[in-house]
Amino acid sequence: MSELLDLPWHEARQQASARELVDASLAAIRNDRLNAFLRVADGAAEGQPIAVKDNIVTTDMPTTCASRILSNFVSPFDATAVARLRAAGASIVGKTNLDEFAMGSSTEHSAFGPTRNPWDPSRVAGGSSGGSAAAVAARMVPAALGSETGGSVRQPAAFCGVVGLKPTYGRVSRWGLVAFASGLDQIGIVTKTVRECAELLGVIAGSDAMDSTSSPRPVDDYAADLGAGVRGLRFGVVREAVEKLEGEVRTNFDEALAVLRGGGAIVEEASVPTLRYAIAIYYIVANAEASANLARFDGVRYGHRSAQSPTLDDLYFHSRGEGFGAEVKRRIMLGTFALSSGYYDAYYGRAQSVRARMRHDFGEAFHRFDYLVTPTTPEPAFPIGAKTADPLSMYLSDVFTAPANLVGIPAIAVPSGFSKEGLPLSLQIMGPHFSERALFRAAAFFEGETGWWGRRPAA
Amino acid sequence: MKVSRDEVRRIADLAHLAFDDAGLDRMAEELTKILSYIDQLSEVDVRGFEEHAEGATPMRDDVPRPSVDRELVARNAPAWSDDHFVVPKVIGGE
Repeated sequence: MSELLDLPWHEARQQASARELVDASLAAIRNDRLNAFLRVADGAAEGQPIAVKDNIVTTDMPTTCASRILSNFVSPFDATAVARLRAAGASIVGKTNLDEFAMGSSTEHSAFGPTRNPWDPSRVAGGSSGGSAAAVAARMVPAALGSETGGSVRQPAAFCGVVGLKPTYGRVSRWGLVAFASGLDQIGIVTKTVRECAELLGVIAGSDAMDSTSSPRPVDDYAADLGAGVRGLRFGVVREAVEKLEGEVRTNFDEALAVLRGGGAIVEEASVPTLRYAIAIYYIVANAEASANLARFDGVRYGHRSAQSPTLDDLYFHSRGEGFGAEVKRRIMLGTFALSSGYYDAYYGRAQSVRARMRHDFGEAFHRFDYLVTPTTPEPAFPIGAKTADPLSMYLSDVFTAPANLVGIPAIAVPSGFSKEGLPLSLQIMGPHFSERALFRAAAFFEGETGWWGRRPAA
Repeated sequence: MKVSRDEVRRIADLAHLAFDDAGLDRMAEELTKILSYIDQLSEVDVRGFEEHAEGATPMRDDVPRPSVDRELVARNAPAWSDDHFVVPKVIGGE
């Protein structure tokens, strides 16, 4: 293990050449015991090493979405975020593991096996960007791109003890991010430190003619306020998220609030009454959109085609049946149901209405507060296999992260300490739309006061 | 919401997915459980928040421009001939 990969990258760059950095990263990836990577680059170019979740397309490596249906797919184009990274001097060193099509919260739904948690390999890395989070935590790469539909960067970042950002909906182009739920999807970033995250967002953010939902707002100087502290800033503690919290997660969260108060922040109770409906809304809205987006995987133009296809209908049914895993099928079924005649109003329409009310609730809270805070997850990383038999219990691990996706706001997960068992815990900070610069300011203060990022797993 | 096996079969047809009998039963059970959780949405007062579209996605001008390289598209195709994707015959019958 190279010590270069232990450093924040602005320090690593001063101590080593781009070639040495890439080689150190490639060597660490080849030694991957966590199944964090699905592919390592052959002869990666010299540059700042970075890993990319395998649902973001690259021309020099396959993009599988951790699905059998795409196991041989090589994109004819680079995702915009990847192209911007390359143009800024980054070198894509590998593609990271995920739940199939980003559908999951543990990376156990990968067709290529689960990613293990670097702090305890018997536990999950979280998901769906589990490979990206584990790779950064285990110091295989300084940074990785992930994607979020309902917490898929922040939850694994929390489980692995690293920084995870979900930018505002529309802040980063999704061109080349394989679509899951287009009204929610956003490319996110996993790093060791807040500064690295802020610098990377500056590279990948901005409007793009290839994604008409990308925002024309100018890209901010995201690292400008990293040293500005939190004096006088108002943090709302979301009552509905914390009122039932117990044990170590509760104690750790209270300690995090004390750190903010110690810096002169105003910390008071906030209320988002609809918060408890987030998972119910999410699983209707996200899966309805997924059922439409995944219709394109039909065995005709790319991906797996069944050998059992005497007729076109057989080709569709068998290619999809053989290509998709159980969780993807379950979600397509749920989404198809919610959009089907007779159920649309009661499920999809209803979910969108409650979502509109949640958006209103967050807007009200942000009249009073600059930030809203919760623990990133209700519990630390769970054992592999603990939730796979009960889909609903798995879904509920996103209860604090999914709201930001439904409302479209940015949110960051920052390490807040460790449980008695040595598992990472995490603070989530949410802000209004396009408040990333302010999020980094608060997260950098917290990181500077606590210094948890410097601890690394033994594995 | 209780989902029957016949209902699962209807949804599976719409989704172009096939399940065997055991799979249909399992899916009916899982969907019933998940939808029972989701049914709590009916308790929320949403007057004034009825479903509405977010700001419309802007449209670009419909101007021809180069697209991806056809050769790279062909490389990913399961079956390709004379610049076309090949599928089983759909007209003309037996």
